[in-house]
Amino acid sequence: MAYQAVAEERVGVRPRRAVGRYAAPALFLLPATVLILLFFVLPVLTTLVLSLTDISTVTFRQPKWVGVQNYRELLGDPFIGKIFLNTGRYVVLTLLFNVGIGLALALLSTSIPARFGNQIRALWLLPRILPPVAYVLIWHGLTREAPFGLVSNVLGVSRNWITAEPWSVIILANGLVGASFGMLIFTSAIRSIPQDLFYAAAVDGATTTQTVRRVVLPMLRWPILFVTAYQTLSLLTSFEYILLLTQGGPGFYTTTVWALHAYQLALSNYFGNVQFALGAAMAAVLVVIGIAVSVLYLRVFNFKALVAEPKVEVN
Amino acid sequence: MKHKWFVALWVIGLMALMLPPAQAQRVVVIKAWTIGPDNPSVTRFNNLTTAAERLNADLNREGAGFQIRVEGFFDTVGWDSYLRRVLLGFQSSDGPDIVQANGSLAATWADAGFIVAMDGYIPRYRQFADVVPALWDAMKYKGKIWAIPQDTEARPLYFNKTLLKQLGWTDQQIAALPGRLSNGDFTWDDVLATGRDAVQKRVIEAGKGYYHRPVNGPDFIQWYRSFGGRDFDAQSGKLVINKAALLRYYSWLRAGVDGGVIEKDRLNGDWNRYMQPVTDGKVLFFSGGTWQWAEWAQIWVNNKGGEEWLFANFGYGPHPAHVKGGKPITMSNPQAYFVTAGSKNKDLAVRLLAYTTVPDLDAKHAVGSAHLPVLRTTARVINNKFLKEVSYLLNYTTFAPAHPDLSKWQDAVFRGISAVESGQVTPQQGVDLVASEMQRTIRDQVIVE
Repeated sequence: MAYQAVAEERVGVRPRRAVGRYAAPALFLLPATVLILLFFVLPVLTTLVLSLTDISTVTFRQPKWVGVQNYRELLGDPFIGKIFLNTGRYVVLTLLFNVGIGLALALLSTSIPARFGNQIRALWLLPRILPPVAYVLIWHGLTREAPFGLVSNVLGVSRNWITAEPWSVIILANGLVGASFGMLIFTSAIRSIPQDLFYAAAVDGATTTQTVRRVVLPMLRWPILFVTAYQTLSLLTSFEYILLLTQGGPGFYTTTVWALHAYQLALSNYFGNVQFALGAAMAAVLVVIGIAVSVLYLRVFNFKALVAEPKVEVN
Repeated sequence: MKHKWFVALWVIGLMALMLPPAQAQRVVVIKAWTIGPDNPSVTRFNNLTTAAERLNADLNREGAGFQIRVEGFFDTVGWDSYLRRVLLGFQSSDGPDIVQANGSLAATWADAGFIVAMDGYIPRYRQFADVVPALWDAMKYKGKIWAIPQDTEARPLYFNKTLLKQLGWTDQQIAALPGRLSNGDFTWDDVLATGRDAVQKRVIEAGKGYYHRPVNGPDFIQWYRSFGGRDFDAQSGKLVINKAALLRYYSWLRAGVDGGVIEKDRLNGDWNRYMQPVTDGKVLFFSGGTWQWAEWAQIWVNNKGGEEWLFANFGYGPHPAHVKGGKPITMSNPQAYFVTAGSKNKDLAVRLLAYTTVPDLDAKHAVGSAHLPVLRTTARVINNKFLKEVSYLLNYTTFAPAHPDLSKWQDAVFRGISAVESGQVTPQQGVDLVASEMQRTIRDQVIVE
């Protein structure tokens, strides 16, 4: 306390010492700050600037300012509502699958002997360590028509399941990869719950369900927030599995999500005239949505309470 | 004493090493970027290096005092990533001198100022005089020629002769089919009717009566045209969509799906699911490209006898008309070498292209990759049964319109096909959606009629 008062007094009197005082923390913050500036702030600014121009392949050398023209064009697109809803559907359903399966796997694999639990978790990590293209090739193989496709053979109905049930395939393919992420985080969180709490619950005669509901889940609030928020944001911007599975089809934007549409406008075209500016406008909207969603999560999960100092000191 | 001599020799030797060798010459690097993406088309790059050797010999003879070296790559991955790389290459100060791509990219790249017009260079080299004249038209935009043709192809309607025979066709009838396709006697409706017959008689499985490509591509323009559509208005230089013709095309596709001739999921994005059934001999009619013949022979039916098997089982002709007596059609999407505006050695680059545009290299590429040659001499001397037999298709060929917004036009038509085939919308709804999509994205550059 006394030290702080002296320090504050010095700040007022001799500013040069203040520089010295903040030099070390600033130095430690520098690498992270540079990274954030380079890889977050700068791209966001570039995207915003690009979205206000008419840059495309044809105007690549001399782009012109067009103001909010691109945003107006987005609003005028009759399919933009559909694409927006598709994005919501994709994120929410995949998230439910991801977090749900991840949680179930963590709970199940920690309640059996570690030997088996570890093996089950290792098995679930396989999709994640496969390169996306190879992983999707497996899905293509699974969903082909008979006699090549496993699903067709098992169900006895020969169809191309990717075009027959595009959403189910997309959510399953994404969810099975994503589940392992939640599984790992939740497992380590469950492992770090003090064993005493389980003993106490057992002594009080709690059933397994009660233990999970009253002991485990309340202790998992923070990891669940983290996994949900993290997965939401990465799902909002991810489109690689959709691109590889359905290319946003079949038909008019059936499975096109926001990020995929931005990619197709801005980066992918057979005849080469691509609209960077329109894609940038879509990306800018995505940034705003991402920030809004993050704020919402912090509110819903009461982030402040989660990171508050513990009321009881445990040593 | 001996020691001294030894040191002196050493010094002289070292000095000699430091001097440049007498015949060392300046080397000019010509950077060339090329793409298949099909493997057999690797001659698009290799022909440039062979041509460079011949050019170097001539440079030596002329005492030019320099040699050239071709550097660059042949891309087998895909167009999207290649074109992105090329776009950045155009902007770089160290970009390529020569870029190979679809001739129809001339419109976009010329508007953007990435490439230089060839009109001034072409008369300088006699090699270019031998190029098939129609191909220069495909390199034109706003009255100028923007590229040197590299190869061309045709897109035939293939048919499975073995299956037709099982269906009860005689050998004469099968042999007459290409002629009937050419003179407009065998129409798109006959394709459907034959397919339906084959499905009913269990000669083929449902949906395998007619196959078209599984992904977006230029081919859809030719099918829309074969139903009487036009896509370009030369007078105004604008793109066109004809709703009546598009409706005919979409209705035909719908009828094909409803009749069990075309798969509902035909646009599955997977070439393997096209190649496998076709080369297993299970598909009756299928639209493809001449270059696929090489892929089939070298990869898909290699263990069944390669090209022999193909000749025994597959026949080919132009794509039919939609009414009796109508004009048949095929489409070519010629590949071309562009010289970049950023190149510091434009003259040399064009000269290298002239050395590449010679019959033996043209033939090597054509035979190796089953593309059609670009030189008239090659077409006459080439000794290849398939290429000789499909060359006549060029009489019916058309090109994609030169317009920077072509890709938007194509995307809209393609989405419509995907929606109609998968049953999302009726053909009429599909046409209306496509027209409004085009009016929104291409604005005043499209005429809806």
